[in-house]
Amino acid sequence: MIALAGHAAILIALGGAVALAVAGWRAFATGHPARGATRLPMALLLGGAIAAFVVLEFGLLTHDFSIEYVARNHARDTPVLFTVASAWAALEGSIVLWGLVLAGFATAVYWSLGDDDRLGVGALAVIGMVAIFFFGLMATAANPFTTLAIPPLDGVGANPLLQNHILMAVHPPMLYLGYVGMTVPFAFAIAALVAGDASRVWLQRTRRWTLVAWSFLTLGVLLGALWSYEVLGWGGYWAWDPVENASILPWLTATAFLHSAVVQRRRGMLQAWNLALVIGTFTLTLLGTFITRSGVIASVHSFTQSAVGPAILGFLLVVLVASFGLFATRAHLVVSAPRLDSLASREGAILFNNLLLTVFAVIILMGTLYPVILEAFTGDRVFVGGPWFDRSAVPISLVLLFAMGLGPLLPYRLATASLTWRRVRLPLQIALVTVAVAATAGLRSIAVLVTVGAATLVISSIGVSLHAAARQRGGRYVADLGRTVQSDPGYWGGMAAHIGVAVLAVGIAFSSAFHVRETISLDVGESAAFDGYHLTYVGPFQRVEPHRVVIGAAIEIRRDGRLLGVHEPRLNQYPNQAQAIPTPSVRMGFVEDLYLSLVRIEQGTGSVTFDAHRFPLVWMLWAGGAITVLAGGWAAVVTRRRRSLQLEEVPS
Amino acid sequence: MRRYAAFVIPALGLAAVLIGFLVFSLGDHLVYYRTPTEVRDLTVDTGARVRLGGQVAPGVEEGPGMVRFAVTDGHTEVMVEHTGTPQQLFRPGIGVVVEGTWDGTVFRSDTMIIKHDEQYRTEDGGVYVPGAPPTVP
Repeated sequence: MIALAGHAAILIALGGAVALAVAGWRAFATGHPARGATRLPMALLLGGAIAAFVVLEFGLLTHDFSIEYVARNHARDTPVLFTVASAWAALEGSIVLWGLVLAGFATAVYWSLGDDDRLGVGALAVIGMVAIFFFGLMATAANPFTTLAIPPLDGVGANPLLQNHILMAVHPPMLYLGYVGMTVPFAFAIAALVAGDASRVWLQRTRRWTLVAWSFLTLGVLLGALWSYEVLGWGGYWAWDPVENASILPWLTATAFLHSAVVQRRRGMLQAWNLALVIGTFTLTLLGTFITRSGVIASVHSFTQSAVGPAILGFLLVVLVASFGLFATRAHLVVSAPRLDSLASREGAILFNNLLLTVFAVIILMGTLYPVILEAFTGDRVFVGGPWFDRSAVPISLVLLFAMGLGPLLPYRLATASLTWRRVRLPLQIALVTVAVAATAGLRSIAVLVTVGAATLVISSIGVSLHAAARQRGGRYVADLGRTVQSDPGYWGGMAAHIGVAVLAVGIAFSSAFHVRETISLDVGESAAFDGYHLTYVGPFQRVEPHRVVIGAAIEIRRDGRLLGVHEPRLNQYPNQAQAIPTPSVRMGFVEDLYLSLVRIEQGTGSVTFDAHRFPLVWMLWAGGAITVLAGGWAAVVTRRRRSLQLEEVPS
Repeated sequence: MRRYAAFVIPALGLAAVLIGFLVFSLGDHLVYYRTPTEVRDLTVDTGARVRLGGQVAPGVEEGPGMVRFAVTDGHTEVMVEHTGTPQQLFRPGIGVVVEGTWDGTVFRSDTMIIKHDEQYRTEDGGVYVPGAPPTVP
């Protein structure tokens, strides 16, 4: 019964998607696009999507094991929170959430439609077409409401990795909001291409929607890193895993677009490039979905196990061919590029930034797809190591960081040497002094010193220019600071995001350069010294919790004789799951994190082996990331309020 | 596009050189996945690092800081000498990936990954027994 309701909901949403595509296209094609024509299809799409999701949750919460998805991903004693999260813990359910998020974004676009909004209804039609694919997938290959003839008494339970930490309930939806959100800028890009619309309205709307999706994507990536740090127990936050790479690829191209959009807004240049970035970002989200959902990266041979992988790949190819085909034949309609006066200018700096971000994305894409391509042609299964990615990522990131510090100081059109020097001098001096102080204080790693210098340059250049802008107003200084920021939220929001990235970069540099790791084996009562800490093994313990059995080791941490606490790295063993999940114990601190991860407790003697890690300044990574996300969100919200955006006159 | 030629052409050239350089260096950073049968057929000791995947065969010998066991793919067994303490989950019958070198008789590994099943279900194909106790030491 529930399965039937769920299936009906999916079909209603699918019908709504088809109707939306048709109605949107009709409205788009007529001279007088009416918003009203899309109202009913929109209601069907949203209603169906909400109903499908609610029915799935209902099935999970009422333990309806006649639904195969529930039987495979839920057990009676799973806590409610993880039961709710189980709806997106596996393939079919995650596509239901995907559909819901897509319908939500479509509704937001619908609400933002103005009267006689040709671009808007065109975009709705494109979103409708994308929705047809995803709801079509749910109706066929990835049906979440398939029933079992003989329902089991209890289910297998959720993936233990996923029910081990609350972050897993939050991280995927955030990532989806980012991924799916990129559909909206894509839809506006396609509508603009079909309409031959080169207006500023396109750019303004696309930029705002990208900013919304980008903020969620940033948060999703960040929470993913936090999850792997706090939960996985391998001691780290980034491993260049294909799944991680899949999330960073669209982030890089979306970031490039947010920058080059500024050039189009201020100087009317780079339209074609912006369209290409938006289309590219959307295809990369599809590629990411394909990578994470088909298992193709682990082995090409798992390709045929599910029809979902080939379906997404097919859709990806259709989107690539159709949208870039459209781009090739119609881009000339939207392009009217004024001349780039000089490479030594803000525009030049942003072009340079775009080049770096794109090359960065291409390199990660290559490293990620190379094993697939090699296996397809030679049958060899390979693994590309993290050092390969580091080798390209570190230099590119450092150059980007410097560009981030210098770029905003350059004037538009032409940066003369004297003007540039006048603006750069003070921030550069501050950065050099900081580096000198750090070196004197005993910081010896060149890479970390360079990062600190570049990050200081970023922050000090923003501080200096904000100070100068506020001074010019000549009122009360503090109020003027606020007024300056309010006057151009897009720009200052971007600058705040830069500060976040600079802080994050320092966190990454310190925590990776000064990471200390040691594997320690102790008998009960024994102690060991680790990097200034004194670790005493109190003993093993075993706890039976309602939904899992926890085994762990109690380890007393002292420093200079002072007791800092008893930490319990442990393994969580879930019923009916062969695999136990190591859960590290992280002592987060201002100077450094002490990270203990259990390797093994000997059955007879109770002696323990664990990995101890020291990571300095990891908090800067989370704090910097949080600043970036908040800055992006703030800019999106504030820009949204100021609906009319004129081409600004550019002071040179 | 012609207007940007002065910038775009050198930039693309630079990007191409960088990417080409990286592709050629890719070979040094590749680690091949091998099955026990494939490893046994590697008669020459190349010293290259390989990831060997398979199931841990019965008869594990544990010593201080090291462990000796055989990895099997159902046809061939390869002896592995692993340096380091194996993880809690390590036991006969579990899937492992070990990384190291093959000298023709013994596979010397220093990195072990306990293979997490794709679908995160029981290893014997998802056979689920209600009421079965979880395995703890």
